[in-house]
Amino acid sequence: MKRLFRAATVAAVLLAAAPVKAAEITVCIWGSLTGPDALVNGISYAARDYLEFLNQTKGGIAGHKVRTVLLDGRYKLDEELKNYRRCVDREQAVFVNGWSTGAAKALRDQINQDAVPFITQSGAGELVDPKNLPYMFIPGPTYEQQIIIALRAAAKSGGRRAVILFPDNEYGRGPTGIVRQSGEAEKLGLKLETIEFPFDAQDITAQMLRIKAFDPDLVFVQGSTPQVLVALRDAAKVGLPASKFAGSANSLGPAIPKQLGAAAEGYRALVVFSDFGSQIPAMEQIKQFMKTNEVEKKDVFYMRGWFEGIVMARAIEAAVAKNGGKVPEDIAAFRKSVRNEMVGLKDVDTGGITPPADYSNHQGTTQARVAVIKNGEFVAVGDWFDAR
Amino acid sequence: MLRHLSPTIFAVLFTLALLFVIPWLDRYATYLLISVAIAAIGALALNLLTGMCGLINFAQGALMGVGAYTAGNLGNAGWDILAVPAAGFVTAIASLVIGLPALRLRGLYFGVATLAAQFIVDYLFKILEPITHGVSGLPIRQLRVLGIVIQNDRMFATVCVLSLLLAWWAMYRVKNTDLGRSFLVVREGEIVAKGMGIDVAHTKIWAFLISGFFAGIAGALLGFNARLADPEAFTLGLSVDYLAMIIVGGLGSLTGPLLGSLFVTLLPEAIQRVAESFGIASLLSALREFTFGLLIIVFLIFEPRGLSALFRKLMFQRDARNRKKASYLNNSTQQPQGEETK
Repeated sequence: MKRLFRAATVAAVLLAAAPVKAAEITVCIWGSLTGPDALVNGISYAARDYLEFLNQTKGGIAGHKVRTVLLDGRYKLDEELKNYRRCVDREQAVFVNGWSTGAAKALRDQINQDAVPFITQSGAGELVDPKNLPYMFIPGPTYEQQIIIALRAAAKSGGRRAVILFPDNEYGRGPTGIVRQSGEAEKLGLKLETIEFPFDAQDITAQMLRIKAFDPDLVFVQGSTPQVLVALRDAAKVGLPASKFAGSANSLGPAIPKQLGAAAEGYRALVVFSDFGSQIPAMEQIKQFMKTNEVEKKDVFYMRGWFEGIVMARAIEAAVAKNGGKVPEDIAAFRKSVRNEMVGLKDVDTGGITPPADYSNHQGTTQARVAVIKNGEFVAVGDWFDAR
Repeated sequence: MLRHLSPTIFAVLFTLALLFVIPWLDRYATYLLISVAIAAIGALALNLLTGMCGLINFAQGALMGVGAYTAGNLGNAGWDILAVPAAGFVTAIASLVIGLPALRLRGLYFGVATLAAQFIVDYLFKILEPITHGVSGLPIRQLRVLGIVIQNDRMFATVCVLSLLLAWWAMYRVKNTDLGRSFLVVREGEIVAKGMGIDVAHTKIWAFLISGFFAGIAGALLGFNARLADPEAFTLGLSVDYLAMIIVGGLGSLTGPLLGSLFVTLLPEAIQRVAESFGIASLLSALREFTFGLLIIVFLIFEPRGLSALFRKLMFQRDARNRKKASYLNNSTQQPQGEETK
């Protein structure tokens, strides 16, 4: 019996580590450091790096060091749910930066209950609901807004027919269904066709033949870089030029021109965040940070994470200022104050990564423009479109 | 002293000790306990089929999904705690349907049939939108027990730990019945079983029903825990995780699935925490799956009978040491008397 209770006591001591003090500024971030969408994990690394940059150059936020916790969600629901509990309870984070649509949906009631500001990397429109989800924020336009931006761009350039090509998962079906039901394409004078393909398909030539028969002016691929790679490769097989294709901001991967070469010339993707290496003030900060630190990724997703770091820091800074420059002792009050300041963010200078951000709509920005592959590189062209 | 207790009393005492600890755990540790308890129920279910009856099942993930969707729909319809056993019954029927080929197929061929079933059910989760909400996943309300909403992790952990006790006790009872002994004989050889007068088809059907029932319970708890039944959560990967649990823990034993679920659920966590304390979390994140796989391989090479055998071996060595120590002490207390007589 003694042994049993000894074991139980040891387990309790091991498991129940004391939480950190509430008077610290702790920001908890998780992303797919490993897992199927690790290609875009620069977001999570950059959000951490921006806060570290503040620690190194300004002594933190409003003079208070920031403790960042970076965790791996592995794109697994149970792992993300576990990370959330660790962030909110054990780490006492004032802001949580999470990852997938599934996790954000599963956690929405708990986020409300815990009243903790939460940024998800999902672009699912149903998560942008300030009334019912007051603590949930996303960075940039929703997936459906991005499709609408592309349709508007196509209509503006005289297009008459458009196709949305989408995978058979939520990421594909959800936004496509919403756009189809909205009637936006018809309002723009576009005849719309929607074509589905299996998410992990390695050959979609059959779908390409259907698209060719429809003879569209725009084919919007509601997928990420891997799906666009398959689509453009098979489009070339049936004689469809890449210039007819466009994709969301998640398909702005440098792998597309790198792997497809000439077959990718003319492909367009939406730009919500300036690319890595752009001539903008935020890039100067990143270069300064890189002098003394290694960065994990050097792509547009890193820029998105840097943007998220900026807006989180701004909201926290405003909350600390409201408390007389001190970090509130009560973590619940601190979180609530940060959420209120987040919603109050207007005209935030993001160092040129996006147009000035405004979080009163819980999205930061709803604008995007088009980048086209020219000579093996994405080049931003044209004006910003607002999908609001 | 514990060795002299019956397994049932030991299990009850261990459960009480866990329930005693829960109020002191933070939410993160509580969540880990929930994960282990649910995994242990699922592993016990699979162990009955694969470890005790010798039927390889690659559709455990799909079966747990059936449990999660059933419990989700019934829970949302206000079925209270009854949603959990109901999910067990529905999954038992699904398990039986998946298992019907087992009456004609054996070994690897049956394994391939369950693999096909995993993919078919996985596909059904995506297309049966009125029941499953398709690829968006089914949002699930909080579990209710006799009208009380289980609204925090500690309450849910209590439900999971008690469910685990019931599942373990049911398996223990089954193992010691004629049916349980029939499972073992069928595993060792169907011809031998027939020769001994065992109805093999009947035995297999019971194995599928019981295993499916507990897989459904585990799935239901998984659904209520995540508050979302999502097709991506019940893929082949989950089935493989459960096979890993029972192989690492030790096939056929009742402690094996418990130890296996503890190992498979907590080892990645332990690796992460060790990496964090050495400041190499980012590096080890990428290597975590690799390290995990490597540890399993090393383990299987050096102790293929699983953790339960290792555990027994360690206990035996300790007992032998204690006996040796006791006999040495006895001798040394008797020795001076002997010398005096000399």
